Amino acid sequence: MNMDKPVRRVAIFALLLFFGLMAQVNYVQGSQAEALRTDKNNRRQYADVFNAPRGQITAGGQVLAKSDLTGKDNPKYGRTYKDGLIFSPATGFFNGGASKVEMSYNSLLGGKDKRITQQRWFDTFIGKKAEGADVELALDPQAQSLAYSRLKASTSRRAGAAVVDIETGAIVVLASFPSFNPNEVAPQTGLKGGKRLEELENQRGVIKPLIDNAMSQTFPPGSTFKTVTAAIAMEQMNLNSSSIVNTGQLVLPESNRPLPNSHDTGQCAGRATLRGAFAESCNTTFAELAMQMTIERLNQGASKFGFNKRVEIEPDLFAAESDVPVSIKDPKTGETIQTGKDGTARSGIGQENVRATPLQMAMVAQAVANDGKIMTPHLVEKVRAKDQSELYSAEPKQYSQPLSKDHADQLADMMRAVVTEGTAKNLAQFNIAGKTGTAEQGPGNPNARWFMGFAPMEKPKYAFAVVTEGTGSGGEAAGPVAGAIMQAVLRK
Amino acid sequence: MGSIGEQIRAQVPFQRRNAASLVLLVFAMVLTLSAFAEVGLARDGRIPAGLFGYGGALAVLAFAAFFVQSKFAPYADPLLLPLAVALNGIGLAMIYRLDLDTSADKQTALVEGTVAKDAADAPSQLMWTFVGIALFVIAVLIMRDTDKTDAPLSFTPKTAQRYTYLIGLGAIILLLLPIVPGIGQQINGARVWINIGGFSVQPGEFAKLLLVVFFAGYLVNKRQAMSLIGKKIGPISLPRARDLGPIMVIWIFCLGVLFIQKDLGTALLYFGLFVSMLYIATQRVSWVVIGVGLLAVGIFIATLLPFMGHVNQRISIWQNPTPYFDGGCMLESGRVVPVNPDTEIFKRFQAQGSESPGLAACAELGGDYSDSAQLMHGLFALGQGGVLGTGLGQGEPWKIPLSFSDFIFDSMGEELGLTGLMALLLIYALIVQRGMKTAVAARDPFLKLFAGGVSFVLALQVFVIVGGVTKLIPLTGLTTPFLSQGGSSMMANWILIAILVRMSHDARKPAPQAIQDEGMTQVVSLR
Repeated sequence: MNMDKPVRRVAIFALLLFFGLMAQVNYVQGSQAEALRTDKNNRRQYADVFNAPRGQITAGGQVLAKSDLTGKDNPKYGRTYKDGLIFSPATGFFNGGASKVEMSYNSLLGGKDKRITQQRWFDTFIGKKAEGADVELALDPQAQSLAYSRLKASTSRRAGAAVVDIETGAIVVLASFPSFNPNEVAPQTGLKGGKRLEELENQRGVIKPLIDNAMSQTFPPGSTFKTVTAAIAMEQMNLNSSSIVNTGQLVLPESNRPLPNSHDTGQCAGRATLRGAFAESCNTTFAELAMQMTIERLNQGASKFGFNKRVEIEPDLFAAESDVPVSIKDPKTGETIQTGKDGTARSGIGQENVRATPLQMAMVAQAVANDGKIMTPHLVEKVRAKDQSELYSAEPKQYSQPLSKDHADQLADMMRAVVTEGTAKNLAQFNIAGKTGTAEQGPGNPNARWFMGFAPMEKPKYAFAVVTEGTGSGGEAAGPVAGAIMQAVLRK
Repeated sequence: MGSIGEQIRAQVPFQRRNAASLVLLVFAMVLTLSAFAEVGLARDGRIPAGLFGYGGALAVLAFAAFFVQSKFAPYADPLLLPLAVALNGIGLAMIYRLDLDTSADKQTALVEGTVAKDAADAPSQLMWTFVGIALFVIAVLIMRDTDKTDAPLSFTPKTAQRYTYLIGLGAIILLLLPIVPGIGQQINGARVWINIGGFSVQPGEFAKLLLVVFFAGYLVNKRQAMSLIGKKIGPISLPRARDLGPIMVIWIFCLGVLFIQKDLGTALLYFGLFVSMLYIATQRVSWVVIGVGLLAVGIFIATLLPFMGHVNQRISIWQNPTPYFDGGCMLESGRVVPVNPDTEIFKRFQAQGSESPGLAACAELGGDYSDSAQLMHGLFALGQGGVLGTGLGQGEPWKIPLSFSDFIFDSMGEELGLTGLMALLLIYALIVQRGMKTAVAARDPFLKLFAGGVSFVLALQVFVIVGGVTKLIPLTGLTTPFLSQGGSSMMANWILIAILVRMSHDARKPAPQAIQDEGMTQVVSLR
């Protein structure tokens, strides 16, 4: 009996085993390679980021962040930030981990994005590392620098400013004080940088340098929120700027205590037009409007402006959530507390538990100045590969339309009246319109002083909001800062 | 028309192919030396010192082996030696490369007083290569051609047939040695080692060869009965109960390996080897069906037994390794809960000073602990390599646990890429196919089974370990022939090549010719 035939069959079976292995190796290293490289458990991808130059971050022709050879093996490339304190609210930091644009555009900056690897597929095939793309921000570097120094000079604690282009939603200023210098935690600083970052992250108290005060921190908006209350009232209660409203005394129904106005003269003496009440910032008018609308409708109306959810600025990069809460959770007991009638009244004038980021208030001003439309805010204008081919270009996108063009125009006129005849007459020289706000933050804390609005006064191009903490009022403290910033933005 | 073997023999022109073998061997050496050079150039920007030491030593050894082969087995298959040298050389270069990185780590660990991880050890691998090739030379030298089997004091591959049962007993003893207290050793959780004079030896590697001899010897005797007699039920003819005996013994034995050593891969290796040789001997598909069925039943039982949760977990990890990364815990419901260092429960046990917080955490949850980090790190390395690899010396293969032993194939995959792995697999496939060709060409049934068996066991071993580290099948630890660091594997595989070389020489040499041109009458010497 011959055994050649079964030997041949076993030989073929052995070959099939090898074919199986070859197929599997092709599957893993061919089609699965990308997924394995970016697997969240794969720590290689984080170590690997220092071995290739990362793209630059630029704004207005200035290089804000770039990679340089360190002359060492690990990390091979460091990261240098120009004026880190000024620009870090937009650029963020990079040290393997990252924040802000460095985080949001990590795959493009690091050259790992499909848009680069597919274009440079041959480089990928021969194992040459794809070079990172350059990210161009919409920021105006001069205005940003000025904003930082003016904010720093104006505040006793924290301050932030945001300016957006009303037609495109491009963020041209995003400044914060205090700030941090990303050079301190860049890759080349090694363990020292890691410790510094940990120290920054674990800061106790109110001042957290890693959390910028322009889009990542909320403040009570005070009277600037009256813009939102007025807009919702006009939409829902069919008011217009010449509707007569009560501006006199208001007794809160639950506590039976009066809600004070800053002054009981002029427009706030008893009855006035909505325009007059807005210009002189009569608290009682807007508290009453809020109570008439109920907290639920105030909350829903504010949501259309971007409140009550995080607004996505760039992929995975969100602004902090601004809130007009219907109820809150007590941080100590965990109980749910409904916002009552008194709370609703105070919510209408931007107190109680209403909180907003400067960027959010700039978006409100944008709706007023832009025929009722809010454009989605964005930081990044363009992304270019090393060969200058365009990989991404920001397209203006409408975020929402919280009020009609007619109401928006009336509200814009009301905001002009604030400067011409209302609470911000000291800003007449600046060619800006807006709304002042001064929010108390409890005993022992400085006021949050606001000015939000748009510029120029006629045919507006930019919307802004500035907050700065300290004693005194919004019109006197935040107004001139906003005026100076807008002069810098408009100078070209 | 004769059998395929006869056809091949008729066509083989009985040529000596030593020149071809030499050219291939030179190519294998060029490959090895370039690998060493690339490691040095990529890491330090200069030709490494190791090129002359390691590469030179391997070149001298390889050409000594070639000299002996061309002198004493001139008709041998020309591919076997160069292919084995190429694998051994590339493996040595990779271990040298890993040694440069892991030994530095070990030094720092010793200085800092932290736990030192196992390190690759190129000098000892070179020593084992020397021992392996020396064994090859000795085996080729002392083994005689099979037509000399009856001569006194001659040792041929066929001599072993006389001692079939003794060798079988030897194989069993070797396999049981690691369990014997005192000499048995447990390394990295596997109890497959024994300690002799300070050296750790894996007797299983040698037992594999002895088992092939035993199966071949046994089956040659019984194959007529096993293939011809039996009841026919439907399309399948069932064997007699008494012929079923041996397969049951092997089956129970393999299940023993599975249950006691908890080693699915080894059980698969032995049983697959036996079934394939049974098929070669009897040509009956029914034996294969019975064998595969029995194994399936065995594994199925194993997955049901509570103390065999280990096998379940291997399969579960194979299906989806992600939840097990850095520690996973399979609850009785079959759900996998992570107990990795990021989890609260892990941190709690760590804070309590538990030595292995993951295990303790899983014990509290009442599940079975397992970890897929090894496998995943290996796969990450493969992903990093991609199609063309990072290049020798330019990747980070030392990040894989056991990068120089069980996972050396993944290390290769990272630095040589898909291209390199395909080449390595082709080299293995070629060795196996040349071995199978030797089996077909062999004249004697015992030698046919012997050559077929050793070739197939090599194929199966590569399949189990490479399939394991590339997630084609559940992972079990076996050595990767000629690549993995370790002496036992190196020695056993070089002996395996020596046997194939001797048998191929035997099969390919010209048959003794009748003397015909001595005139009309043959003069027969009577003295």
